[in-house]
Amino acid sequence: MRNLHKFKQNDKNVVLDINSGSVHVVDELIWDMIDLYVEKALEEIYEILSSKYDTDLIKEGYEEVKELEENGILFTEDSYIKDIKFNEEKIVKALCLHIAHDCNLKCEYCFASQGDFDGDKSFMSLEVGKKALDYLVNNSGNRRNLEVDFFGGEPLMNFDVVKELVHYGRTLEEEYNKNFRFTITTNGLLLDEDKMNFINEHMSNVVLSLDGRKDVNDNMRKTINGEGSFDIIVPKFLEMVKLRGDKDYYVRGTFTSKNLDFSKDIKELYNIGFKSVSVEPVVTEPTQEYAILEEHIGDILKEYDKLSKDYINIKRKDEEFNFFHFTIDLNQGPCAIKRVSGCGAGVEYLAVTPEGDLYPCHQFVGDEHFKLGTLDTGIQNNKLVDEFNKANVYNKDECNDCWARFYCSGGCHANAYNFNNDIMKPFKIGCEMEKKRIESSISILANLND
Amino acid sequence: MKHIKTLSSKNLKNTIVNGGCGECQTSCQSACKTSCTVGNQICENTK
Repeated sequence: MRNLHKFKQNDKNVVLDINSGSVHVVDELIWDMIDLYVEKALEEIYEILSSKYDTDLIKEGYEEVKELEENGILFTEDSYIKDIKFNEEKIVKALCLHIAHDCNLKCEYCFASQGDFDGDKSFMSLEVGKKALDYLVNNSGNRRNLEVDFFGGEPLMNFDVVKELVHYGRTLEEEYNKNFRFTITTNGLLLDEDKMNFINEHMSNVVLSLDGRKDVNDNMRKTINGEGSFDIIVPKFLEMVKLRGDKDYYVRGTFTSKNLDFSKDIKELYNIGFKSVSVEPVVTEPTQEYAILEEHIGDILKEYDKLSKDYINIKRKDEEFNFFHFTIDLNQGPCAIKRVSGCGAGVEYLAVTPEGDLYPCHQFVGDEHFKLGTLDTGIQNNKLVDEFNKANVYNKDECNDCWARFYCSGGCHANAYNFNNDIMKPFKIGCEMEKKRIESSISILANLND
Repeated sequence: MKHIKTLSSKNLKNTIVNGGCGECQTSCQSACKTSCTVGNQICENTK
């Protein structure tokens, strides 16, 4: 069916007008009719549906579909978007600073090879960090909002530099009319009251890594001694979240093929007391024993289905609960240009290693083929930057025909590269999961709007 | 309407006029760090 996607979930029939982004909840009559509307005259539709519906009812439904079409929120063409150019100036506005290539946990699934990204263990110096912030300001053109995520390894292992860089960033704000949004991604092991207070004062968001149920978490997230980290981390995160008040945070977990019943982990995180939760599929090579493979997709989609039902029930009692991948704003979400251009990795978003090397994003760090340059030299591999800049939904064959292209925006480049050795070929399993998450999100909204 | 309830009458086409300012959050900086989900990001122009 042209330009439409329709699906049933959680007792709702949903019609999504792909190119306008409009969403309609329809009854059985419209569900049956909408495919016919495009190809058949009204008289033919009467005939086809006559055994199920009265002529007057069909006429009424037909008129409603026609009205939406005339209002430009059904059967919309997408020709208006295809020529969009975005960030041709190659402005940089977000950095992932690898503050520490070392970690005090030894998580089995770590894409960073337990923190060192297959290189030497190292900490970013204050000098390199300052150069990174200068680089960001100098390459950010007219963008005012600049994002810096303190990442690792484990960034709390080099927290003095984090603090100094936040202070340095604040001095740059006034001089260059910029607004730094600092965030930090941490395993929490070294969190103490001072660090919590500093983070809560200065970081607009904090990502706290925890996988869910104790046995699931401890199976993957182990201390240096090989013991589980759950009992050490959870009290710290609860304290952190309590002190954080209204400020944003996410408790973020990873699921693997070892816990395909991950909806239980999401609910466990909620039951522990965390209201903002994100649990994501592991990114790794298909050869790893915990990798998510095509054979797992059926179970994963069922799990999202199950979670969406539970989510509706929880949301009816507690509006504050927020699962990252079920969050969708149908009316005020991103503009078409953002939706087409994707995550921005390799162009507006770069990762910086402790040594000052530049990579398209944190997932590519350590793979020399993806090194773009250094803070001293600037971007040297412009060909690669161009490749990332062109990796949008209209240049990826699989995305062109996909109804979800304006929601996932082409998917994760690292996923595509890990599985298909090509950033232009989306990771099929990731696509299936993302489509299910979007359908789930919309069906949840439809239910909560009743 | 009796048969259709419109949840969103957004028209992405209209967002092009003032869109593309580039001020919104980079998706991977939000929470995910491993997956690209742009559809749930917030537009800085409507804040």
